[in-house]
Amino acid sequence: MEDTWGQFKSFEGAKFEALSADFTREVSSLIGGQDLTACFQCAKCSAGCPVSDKVNIQVHELMRMLLFGLEEVLETDMVWLCTTCYTCQERCPQGISITDIIFGLKNMAFKRGIRPKGYVVARQGLFDTGRLYEPTDWEREDLELDDVPEFDINDIQKMFKKTGLLELEEKEDA
Amino acid sequence: MTEEYEVFLGCAIPNRFNNYESSMRTVAEALDIKLLDFDGASCCGTVVLKSIDETSWLSLSGRNIALAESRGHDIVTPCNGCYGSLKDTDHVLHEHEEQRNAVNEILKELNLEYKGAARIRHFVEVLYDLRDKIREKIVRPLTGLRIAFHPGCHLLRPSTVTGFDDPELPRKVDELLELTGATSVSWTLKLRCCGSPLLITSEEVATQILREKMESARDAQANCVVTNCPACHTQFDVQAIGLKDSAGESLELPALFVTQILGLAMGLDPEPLGLELNRISLDPIREILGIE
Repeated sequence: MEDTWGQFKSFEGAKFEALSADFTREVSSLIGGQDLTACFQCAKCSAGCPVSDKVNIQVHELMRMLLFGLEEVLETDMVWLCTTCYTCQERCPQGISITDIIFGLKNMAFKRGIRPKGYVVARQGLFDTGRLYEPTDWEREDLELDDVPEFDINDIQKMFKKTGLLELEEKEDA
Repeated sequence: MTEEYEVFLGCAIPNRFNNYESSMRTVAEALDIKLLDFDGASCCGTVVLKSIDETSWLSLSGRNIALAESRGHDIVTPCNGCYGSLKDTDHVLHEHEEQRNAVNEILKELNLEYKGAARIRHFVEVLYDLRDKIREKIVRPLTGLRIAFHPGCHLLRPSTVTGFDDPELPRKVDELLELTGATSVSWTLKLRCCGSPLLITSEEVATQILREKMESARDAQANCVVTNCPACHTQFDVQAIGLKDSAGESLELPALFVTQILGLAMGLDPEPLGLELNRISLDPIREILGIE
């Protein structure tokens, strides 16, 4: 988990018990997901992907796994090693919103507890402070910059309580 | 004509690139662009929150847009991450009724509503519109500067959302940079992601990507890297410190912001351009930049 992310590393020797139609349906409801079946495996997405040579399961393979209803896709390194650069989406000849689909997969993986630790820390920070990083005051003073405009953290927390940001995790018995 | 925007700074700029904000404000003043404070602005959510939970991201980002909208203002940001997040939110809320209703239900409690009236722009878009004015103001040509310009992903892609420049052959910011007499070099991995979003997942993979980028910049004989994004700049001016290729050769190159380059060439006061805060030494190009 330190050098490359994800537990599912290769198709070699892998046995898939069942193809889950429910899973494919769930993915189809994501933004961009309705176009899953348009993918004809040209692999142009993987050709332009900055991590294609750094992952075991590449983008075009991920796309096929979705269509086949293979939930193992959430455990592939491709999901969290996607840099979100949108090159695949920009170049897809079928106009599939591939990067947006991967964002949806990250949401699904996060709920199931398959996620890098940094994201759990970032979530708490966003809830507590409404920011990812705090201003560096001495630099701002040196450059004679005004203070960063303020906001009411209660407003942010009110929203996040409504969206359930801190309790996204799927319950075991659900 | 004075242009007026609320300026969305995001988190990364006030945290570690105050020289970007300061140089942006200096250039804006010289070009008569009015930057208003963005009261109540939180984090944009960026790809981090979008990766965790779509609804939370749309709400946080939608709140920022709705704030500017409630005051009748347009938005400008110097950060690709904020730009991408705000533009993408605007796009989703505009296109998808279900998401728009869900976000407005949440915003109602804060007495806000997203309607989609605020225009969202990157600071370099505004600069590009003013290129003729900039050309007239160039007084200190930066001849000999060979810039590896890194546009960054979320300024260009998805082009259906950003709509700023050609996503495969962008030229607009390069055109601005070349007004200064500098050369924007052609480099093989120019459009490649900098790797910065992976710092939270795997610093090792992020660094591999950065190394490839820096080798490409070196191959093109660039003598500096220029960005318009604090997230990308984190790679080029922080993570690149001490970076070496497989043969042990240093891959460091001076890294500057677009606004610092323009400010210098326009002969503006170097103090607020904040060059002393650039982390990788500017010594190799000090003479070209005309700074001590």
